[in-house]
Amino acid sequence: MPDLIDGSENVSVHGIFNWILLLIIFSIITVIGNYLGYKHPMTDSLIGMGILSLITLIGVWLERELPFNISSILYISVIGILIAFPGMPTSEFVLYYVSHVELLSIVTVFLAYVGIGMGKSWDEFKALGWRAVVITILVIAATYYGAAIVAHIVLVLTGVPAV
Amino acid sequence: MPLIYTIILGLVFYLAKPIKWIQRKQARIAEGAMMLFIGVLIAKLAVSSGQSISLIFKMGPALILQELGHLATILVLPIALLLGFKKEAIGMTNSIGREPNVAVVVDKYGFNSAESRGVFAIFIIGTVIGTIFISFLVTFSLSFLPLHPYAFAMASGVGSASMNAAAIGPTLAAFPGLETQIEAFAGFSNLLSFCVGIYIVIFVALPLTEKIYDWLEPKIGREALVPETEDE
Repeated sequence: MPDLIDGSENVSVHGIFNWILLLIIFSIITVIGNYLGYKHPMTDSLIGMGILSLITLIGVWLERELPFNISSILYISVIGILIAFPGMPTSEFVLYYVSHVELLSIVTVFLAYVGIGMGKSWDEFKALGWRAVVITILVIAATYYGAAIVAHIVLVLTGVPAV
Repeated sequence: MPLIYTIILGLVFYLAKPIKWIQRKQARIAEGAMMLFIGVLIAKLAVSSGQSISLIFKMGPALILQELGHLATILVLPIALLLGFKKEAIGMTNSIGREPNVAVVVDKYGFNSAESRGVFAIFIIGTVIGTIFISFLVTFSLSFLPLHPYAFAMASGVGSASMNAAAIGPTLAAFPGLETQIEAFAGFSNLLSFCVGIYIVIFVALPLTEKIYDWLEPKIGREALVPETEDE
């Protein structure tokens, strides 16, 4: 495979085609997982993945094209929230098809790539001592529990029933 | 847990020497492609957020305040000092040490500073073990901590897309019937961690970590360990 990603530093047509190709591959794998694991009809979830891929493409493209130093994650989030907003003409269509894409099917395929990407940092990882590993584990746990406990206290104080 | 299996399979395929067709170049492509696939994941979460926007506004106080809960990382600072870290500890414990946090620390202390070395260490280790560790942590917590389902959902937005993804999986499985709400809160809280969290790090977490470091270091700081300086 040629360097699929290296062309994506600036938006050439070349880069965009590669992104689309990657998104199509990703969508197909996800739809198959979605069908096998959750029995969602293939066409519905394929359209759902199409919508999600399109949002992603626009978001990534905006990040490269607009002069602001804003991450594509923010563009994608705003577009996603807007088109699903109750009352928007697009919302019914989007919600119907996107609801046929299980989050877990996306996550599973995504994490396989995370695993391969992780392998790349393996040598640097081995060079760090066990003390740093201990600190990392504690830091992640502290972030998670800190947020969970504060959220829980506020939810209880504001009287949100435990569903 | 299919999630952990896929991560481990991906890692094993890369590391296993006999498997020739996933090499460094493919890994680089996988890493670049990941940026694109994060987008799809974020888009799905955003659609759930948009759908539940009125619920999100209703839970606004909890969503905003739980961002301050991330300050709990500073509690790890004394342990880092006891283990023999010096200024590195400031970079290590001010936040979870993902991309935006690395940028803030490098920007403030310079690329070759001890603080930056600390945050790089957390970043690399977090990349390698973070996803697996957080899915175990969440699975464990779900069965032992009697917290509100929404609190678990909000907490999974730690400011890293892959850790967010790994934390949502078990949470969704534990509360069937609440999928949309959990996705909405998890996605929105991760978004907040990205855009609000960074200012909390700049204006609250880093200055606070420095203050506590100056106060604690003379009291409990150890001799910098020789092997430790070699490592970094």
